[in-house]
Amino acid sequence: MTEVSNGARSRIVLNELTKIYGSGGGQVPAVDAVSFDVREGEFVALIGPSGCGKSTILNMMAGLIPISDGEILIDETQVITGTPTPKVGYVFQRDTVFPWRTVRKNIGLGLELNRVPKAQREAEVDRLVERAGLGGFEDAFPITLSGGMRQRVSLMRTLIMRPEILLMDEPFGALDTHTKLEMHKLLLEIWNKEKQTVVFVTHDLGEALTLSDKIIVLSARPGRLKEVFDVPFERPRDAVSLRETPEFSALFSKIWHSLGEEFRRTSAEG
Amino acid sequence: MLSENGWVNFWRVLLLVLILVVWQWGDVVNNWLVADFEKSWRKALTIQILEPFFISKPNMIWARFLELGCFTDSKGAWITSQEGGFAGCLAGNTNNLWAATVATLRNTFWGFLVGVGSGVVVGLILGRSDFLAKVFEPFIVAFNSLPRIALVPLIVLMFGLGDASKIMTAWVIVFFIVFFSTFEGARSVDRDHINVARLMGASDWQVTWTVVIPSTLAWVFAVLTPALSFSLIGVIIGEFIGAQIGLGKIIIEAEATLETADMMVALFVLMIVGVGLALMIRRLQAYLLRWQSQFSERA
Ligand SMILES: Nc1ncnc2c1ncn2[C@@H]1O[C@H](COP(=O)(O)OP(=O)(O)OP(=O)(O)O)[C@@H](O)[C@H]1O
Ligand SMILES: [Mg+2]
Repeated sequence: MTEVSNGARSRIVLNELTKIYGSGGGQVPAVDAVSFDVREGEFVALIGPSGCGKSTILNMMAGLIPISDGEILIDETQVITGTPTPKVGYVFQRDTVFPWRTVRKNIGLGLELNRVPKAQREAEVDRLVERAGLGGFEDAFPITLSGGMRQRVSLMRTLIMRPEILLMDEPFGALDTHTKLEMHKLLLEIWNKEKQTVVFVTHDLGEALTLSDKIIVLSARPGRLKEVFDVPFERPRDAVSLRETPEFSALFSKIWHSLGEEFRRTSAEG
Repeated sequence: MLSENGWVNFWRVLLLVLILVVWQWGDVVNNWLVADFEKSWRKALTIQILEPFFISKPNMIWARFLELGCFTDSKGAWITSQEGGFAGCLAGNTNNLWAATVATLRNTFWGFLVGVGSGVVVGLILGRSDFLAKVFEPFIVAFNSLPRIALVPLIVLMFGLGDASKIMTAWVIVFFIVFFSTFEGARSVDRDHINVARLMGASDWQVTWTVVIPSTLAWVFAVLTPALSFSLIGVIIGEFIGAQIGLGKIIIEAEATLETADMMVALFVLMIVGVGLALMIRRLQAYLLRWQSQFSERA
């Protein structure tokens, strides 16, 4: 067991994790020997330029795509491709709400799949609908919802499974700044109560600073671990007022510098 | 004075009246031209298409409609005043308008149902199994490149003059329409949708039921309208080639006996049936696909 100074155990361990897409001549190295660990209840942000392999890392953690080299341990158990564990919840980068299901049926999907009795399912769905502020839209189809509402449905659909580990891939990437801040508030509220272990992928440094305990900066493709920053801001945080503090600005510019080099490398390449 | 909709309807009615008038009395002009200028250049102007022999006349068609529909007898007297009445008239003519319409509709419905059902099942199976798709591909391509109509005589030979051959004809047409659409749909199921279900612990069966089938059905529902009209086409062709009853049978018989009025009656009934079916299926489709943009209230 990986014991750390503050006593919390490591729930996720990445060991020299490597991913090379394709085979033969057309090989694309996407992730190159990335190692880090995430402790119980920790909120980690994964940040880096587009194409540096952030989604790839999350997909490997969720067991959706095979690992080329290295390993991922979740609670000391190796992740094996194609064998999902219910304790891991995944919010995808793309909008993956089922368009043919109403809000209620989207959120209740996981319970339905696990044959939870209807009465219990409905009660749980109602609770999450309430929490996400989707009241009145229970029977609406996703096509009639705004982007922010759809993302809330996605989030609640994942949370209803009560995952202990939450993987989130730029969940708010497509939202405008205001809606994004609303979502940050909601997410922090939930996390403060339930203390999931979170790996949160983003492009947005402000978002990473608002939400996380630790920011992992990846280099441009192929993704390597570049630097790790602790985010010491007090909790509970207020998504808006936090941004106005000098500590926020100081850490922002420090990470921005590190990140800036990588963004320049990406744009120089392509 | 009139709203835009009002004007649209005004012109529609006017156009209909115009068509009926020309249809009813257009041959008068025709006859006059031919009679007076038999050998002159004006003969070229005579419009053969207004010839009642080919297109009949509205009043004659109406009379035949009443007779074929067992509303009146052959002399135009109301059937209710006759011996045997309505029921007797129906029994006296096995291919009366009612029986023919019911037979054609019934076979259209079954052809549609069997065609859609089998198309969906085969499309789903081949769409989700690359191996089977590869095995069957040349057979499907070969069979599909055969004009389906060419099979109808064989079908009538095999299944006789009854309902089965009509349903089979509709089936071979409808099946492929639905099959190809389902196949495409089953192949383009969003991988991430499947992943979402898998990550929540869905079994293969559950993935099929909660993701593959619902997202494929969208493709199926989208072709319900053509499937239904092609089912009707299939049945009519089946009836042309060999039948004892049906609207197609009335048409082909009218051709043989040079009774254009009868043919027109059958064509009009077909038109009404076609419009009715299309309206019905469109409502069904709008309901089933209410979660898609073009059918939702918002769009
Ligand atoms: N299925 C695949 N086959 C081949 N190459 C792939 C595949 N998926 C991703 N890649 C490549 O791997 C690299 C990393 O992709 P990934 O999607 O993980 O990036 P990302 O960091 O999530 O980018 P973004 O921030 O734009 O989402 C990219 O260069 C991409 O082209
Ligand atoms: Mg990504």
